[in-house]
Amino acid sequence: MGEIVLTIALAHAPGLTGWLDQAPQDQQQRLRDGYQEMGRIVRAAKPDTIIGLANDHILNFQFDNPPNFCIGTADIWHGPAPWFKDWLNVPDYTVKGNRDLAHTLVREGDRAGVRFAYSDSLLFDDNWSVPLFYLTPDHDVPLVPIHMNCILPPLPTPAECFRVGEVIAEIVRTRRPARERIILMATGGLSHDPGGPAYFNVDEAFDRWFLSLLEEGNPQRVLKEATIERMKQAGDGGTSELLAWIAAMGAVGGRRARTICYEPAVELRCGMGGVVWEMA
Amino acid sequence: MGIDNTDRTLASNRLVFEVRRDMAAYRRFRENFELVMGEYGLTEEEKEAWRTLDLKKLGDLGVHPYFLPQISRLFHGGGYNHNRSEACKAYAASVLAGPAGDQ
Repeated sequence: MGEIVLTIALAHAPGLTGWLDQAPQDQQQRLRDGYQEMGRIVRAAKPDTIIGLANDHILNFQFDNPPNFCIGTADIWHGPAPWFKDWLNVPDYTVKGNRDLAHTLVREGDRAGVRFAYSDSLLFDDNWSVPLFYLTPDHDVPLVPIHMNCILPPLPTPAECFRVGEVIAEIVRTRRPARERIILMATGGLSHDPGGPAYFNVDEAFDRWFLSLLEEGNPQRVLKEATIERMKQAGDGGTSELLAWIAAMGAVGGRRARTICYEPAVELRCGMGGVVWEMA
Repeated sequence: MGIDNTDRTLASNRLVFEVRRDMAAYRRFRENFELVMGEYGLTEEEKEAWRTLDLKKLGDLGVHPYFLPQISRLFHGGGYNHNRSEACKAYAASVLAGPAGDQ
């Protein structure tokens, strides 16, 4: 049986690599420290593969038939996609995939009642490029990216996302080789509103409330209270990326999240930070 | 405006989707966006909103809100996209009717 050795969720907004110097000096430092601390925690867990969950910013999901979840099945990934390079300001990178694990998730997902689309040709933007820059800067841990529909209504419900996380955890436990070490990594959020009226705002009260909910270790309360409507009130265009966090939460049972950092980063146009669930 | 107002069938949405995915298509768009708008079958109302970079209008017509700052970046560039960048200022002037950061 495989093992999810760590679950982590963190914001991926492009300002963290693209224009961090515009944030107040002390906030820049706290963000760098927090994201580097998350990197240390990830690398200390010695993962064989990271399974990622993140919003597809309508970069791969076509308008005529968008899935809610799509697993990247390629052997190798390249990023960032060319049009996003100057925006993200990160070096070009290559990271291995894990086709065997990706195919297992697709196949066993069907058997568990969860339909995953799959693709060998996903383009990467900030969803993976920003987190990987801080967590695995050598890009030496294979990634199985799972792109989600978090912003093109109708959205998958929090309960559906949570179920996806439960199924992923179950597949890793029951259908993967012994001692395979997996990190489940959700990226996206926190409050932000790209393209909406709150584009230049951050809803710090919502963000701190959401993080405190995760720290309680009560997933049923999260599902009841962290509704899509509540997320949209905190930033219509992007806060519902937290559905990726809720999917990851499906793998952690009643464990409490530990917040590593949080900053209401107005200059980055996003509530930034991250949490970990230690799985031992 | 808002993500619930998105019209998946709107030609402008397919245009934005595709030019971000393909640098050759992006370059072609930059060289002659009138021609490209015609090829995608934008309505005259959509075309006029693109010509004047009326992002609020495009949002009202059903362009996904996430695309609106990206449309601004298609014209003004995406590098160093802080709140006072040309792309952000153009977005704020159109959608918020005021400078970035005043909201």
